[in-house]
Amino acid sequence: MLMANLIPVAKSVGVNKMVPTISIPYPLGDPATPKEEQYKLRYHRVGVALDALTAEISEPTLFKTKI
Amino acid sequence: MKKAILYLNQFFGQVGGEDMADHTPEIREGLVGPAMELDKQLGDDIQVTHTIICGDNFMGSRQEEAIDMIKDFLKDKEVDFFFAGPAFRAGRYGAACGHAGRAVQQMFPDAVVITSMDEENPGVEMFRKDMFIFRGGASAAAMRNDLKAMAQFAQKLARGEEITSAKEEGYFGRGKRKQYFLNPPVPATERVIDMLLKKINGEAYETELPVPVTDLVPVAPPVAPDKLSEATIAIVTSGGIVPVGNPDRIQSASATKWGKYDVSGMDDLKAGEYQTIHAGFDPMAANADPDVIVPLDAMRQYEKEGKIKKMFHYFYSTVGTGTTQKEAARMGREIAAELKESGVDGVLLVAT
Amino acid sequence: MKLELGHFYVKDIVFGSETRFADGVLTINKEEALEMVREDERITEADLVIVKPGDMVRIVPVKEAIEPRFRVGGGPVFPGVTGDLMQAGNGRTLALKNMSVLAVGKHWGGFQDGLIDMGGEGAKYSYFSQLMNVCLVADTNEVLEQREQQKKNRALRWAGMKLAEYLGKTVADQTPEEVETFELAPVTKRTDGENKLPKVVMVLQPQSQMEELGYNDLVYGWDANRMLPTFMHPNEVLDGCIISGSFMPCSSKWATYDFQNYPMIKRLYQEHGKTINFLGVIMSNLNVALEQKERAMLFVASMAKNLGADAAVVAEEGYGNPDADYTGCLVALEKAGIKTVGLSNECTGRDGASQPLVSMDALATAMVSTGNVSELIQLPPMPVVIGELESLARDGLSGGWDNDAILGASVREDGSIIMENNAMFCGDQIVGWSTKTMVEY
Repeated sequence: MLMANLIPVAKSVGVNKMVPTISIPYPLGDPATPKEEQYKLRYHRVGVALDALTAEISEPTLFKTKI
Repeated sequence: MKKAILYLNQFFGQVGGEDMADHTPEIREGLVGPAMELDKQLGDDIQVTHTIICGDNFMGSRQEEAIDMIKDFLKDKEVDFFFAGPAFRAGRYGAACGHAGRAVQQMFPDAVVITSMDEENPGVEMFRKDMFIFRGGASAAAMRNDLKAMAQFAQKLARGEEITSAKEEGYFGRGKRKQYFLNPPVPATERVIDMLLKKINGEAYETELPVPVTDLVPVAPPVAPDKLSEATIAIVTSGGIVPVGNPDRIQSASATKWGKYDVSGMDDLKAGEYQTIHAGFDPMAANADPDVIVPLDAMRQYEKEGKIKKMFHYFYSTVGTGTTQKEAARMGREIAAELKESGVDGVLLVAT
Repeated sequence: MKLELGHFYVKDIVFGSETRFADGVLTINKEEALEMVREDERITEADLVIVKPGDMVRIVPVKEAIEPRFRVGGGPVFPGVTGDLMQAGNGRTLALKNMSVLAVGKHWGGFQDGLIDMGGEGAKYSYFSQLMNVCLVADTNEVLEQREQQKKNRALRWAGMKLAEYLGKTVADQTPEEVETFELAPVTKRTDGENKLPKVVMVLQPQSQMEELGYNDLVYGWDANRMLPTFMHPNEVLDGCIISGSFMPCSSKWATYDFQNYPMIKRLYQEHGKTINFLGVIMSNLNVALEQKERAMLFVASMAKNLGADAAVVAEEGYGNPDADYTGCLVALEKAGIKTVGLSNECTGRDGASQPLVSMDALATAMVSTGNVSELIQLPPMPVVIGELESLARDGLSGGWDNDAILGASVREDGSIIMENNAMFCGDQIVGWSTKTMVEY
C-alpha cells in the first residue's frame, strides 16, 4: 500500500495500491492548517489506506479519499 | 601526441594481492603491468605517460583521501585520456575505476575517461552515465581484448572520428539518446513496415525507442476484511525520518542504507526527537511534526479503536531522492524479508 | 474511391513572360503571379525567389510548403479552404513534382516557423532542400501578431496555397508523364484475397492543440481541435482534404506538402494486397486536457476494433504534452488487441539524457523514432539569406533564442547560427521520409 503525492510516477513504476497524499514535503498534514485539521486529514487517509489493504484488486488501483 | 594515464589496483599494478589491498595510492612515471600492452595498442597517436596504482580497499574505505591524492598526482600532468582497469567482474576494482574516473573527469572536463568491465560488475550501473565503460570479459583472461577495445576507441576519438552508438562501439550506453542519420539511409516508412509486419507475424523486432521496463510486482493477497483487527501493520517511508542525529548515517540523497527505529510506548513522533534527513524537499514541516510522514499518532488511534491489532514496533526509513531503482529495489527486498519474518500482515509505505 | 495523381516532373524553374509548363520547365511570369498574390489586401510586400538543391541559400522564417496541383474537372485543390467543399480523393489531380511553394516571412517569424538550408551541411536537416522551391517572400499587415510568438500566419499560408493552385493550372490541359493510381474498395467490399491479409489502419494525430481557432490543421476547412476521431479514405489525405496549421515547434510539424504526399500512407498502399489489407485512415487529433485526450483514444480504439483492424500505425505531429495522446493511443489500441507501431520523434534534451517522451508505457512496444527536437545544431554562414536571418533569434522560433548565458544568441554577427533541431522546417519528417533515428550514446 503506497501513500504518495506523485501518483503518475507511482503508476509508471507499477505500484498496485495507492492512496494519494497532499504534497511531497508534508504528505499527511498541511502545516498551513490547524493541528486538529492536519490530524483529521492524516487519520482519514491512513484509514483509507488500512481499508485498502483488505481490498481485492486485479490491477493498479488508486483509492479515493474524502479529505 | 595525446597523453594518457592508466589507473590500476594493487594486483594489476604488481604491488601484491589481497594482503596489499590497503596500498596507498601512488603514481609512477612510465608503464606498469597492463600499461605496456595498452601503450602498444594505442600506437603513435597516444602515449601512456604514467601509471596510478591504488589498493582497492584504500579506495573503498578512504575514498575521499584516495581521490584527493589522485587529483594531486595529476595537477601538473597532461591528461587527454584517462584509462582505468579493465576491471572484469571484480566489484571493488570496478567501483574504484569508476570513482577515480569520475573525479578525473571533473578535474579535466575535456579528457576522455575510458574503462572496461564485465556486465555483472556493479560498477557498470554505478558509473555508466559518467564515462565510457566498455563491455569487457569476466576475468583477466580477457585482458588483451579489453585493452584493445579501449585503445581502438581512444584512437578513433584522437583522430576526430565520429562515434556511432554505444551498441556499435561496444560500451555500455550512457543514457544519452541522440539523433543519428542512418547510413545507408533507410526512411522511417521502411522501418515502420518492417516492424509492423514482424509484429503482426509474431517475429522478433527491435523498437527504436525502448521503454524502460518497470518491474511489475504481482498484487499481494489482501488482508481478509474481518482479519484487519488482528493484523500487525508496519510503516515504511522513503521520507528520511530518523531519530535526531541519524544514528545509521543514512545518506540524504542517493541512499544505499535504511534504518529501523523502535517506537514502542510512544504515541506520536516528537519534534526534536525525530527529523527528516531527506535532501529533496523543504524539511521544515516534517521536522516540526514528523507524524506528517510517519503517521504514528493516527496508527495509535486505530489501535485503540481496534481497527488494527497493532502497529509494528519498528518503523523503517530511507531516503528516496536520487536513489537508483536498483538500490531502492534491494532495500525494499531486505525490508520486506524482515517484515515477513516478524509476522507483519500489511505495510503502509509513505513516500515524499 | 479511386484517385489518379498525374505527375509532371519539373526539371527547371525560371522566370519569363508567360506562366507555363513545357518540356519539364516551369516558367513563371513573376509580375502576374505577384499581382494574384497581392489581391489579398493583407499582403503588403511580396517577391518570388527560386531556389534549387545545392544553392548556398538559407531560408528563414519558412511558414508552409505546398505542392502545386490542379484538380481535373474543377474544384479547389484544398476543398473547404481555397474553395467550396467537395469530396477529395476521387478522380484525377495533377501535380508538379520535384518542387514546392514555400511561404516565407520577409521579416517576422514565430514559434512554429522554420529554417531550410538548400546546400551545405545544414541541407540534410530538411526534406525541402531536395526540392526546387518557389519562395513567396512576403510581409503582411497583420501587425497585431508581428510581435507575437504564436502566429496564425493566415495571409501568407493562404497566399502560398493560392500560388500553388496558380502554378498547378499550367498543366491543366496536358497529359501527365506518369499516373499514380490509389484505389481502395469500401472496407466491406474487399476481395477474398485482400480479406485474408492482416487488416491495418493508419491513425493520424495532426496538430490541433490551440483552443483558439486559426492555428490548427484544418480537415475540409474544419479546425481539428473541434473534431472527434473519424474514419477517412487515405485518398482524401493525399488529395488535399487536410492542410497544415501554424502551431508546434517546426521540426515536429507536417507541412501541407507532407499531407499531400504522405509517405507512410503511400507505403501502406504499396503493401496493400500483398502483405496487408489497408483499411484506411482514422483521423484523430491532439488535445490539451486529459479528458479530451482520453476521449479521442476511446474513439480511435473503438473505431479500429469495429473496423476489424489487426494492426495499426499511429503517427503524432508534435512532442511534449501530446506525447500523452500518442502513448495513450498506442496503449488503447494494444489493449483492444491491435498490434500497433508508433511513428514520431523524441525530446531527449540537449544532452540527450531526458526521458524521450513525456509519457511512456510498457505496452508501447514498437516505435520508430525520427529525431531529437532539442539536438543542438551549429551551421556556418550562408552567402544568401531569403527572409530575415535575425528572425531565428529575435522572434521566438522554437529552436532559436536571442540570448543564452553560455551559447550567446542563435544568430551570430558573421551569419553563422546555433539552434535546436526544433526550428528545422518539418525537420523530423515524421510523415515517413526521415532517415534519422535515435541511438543511445
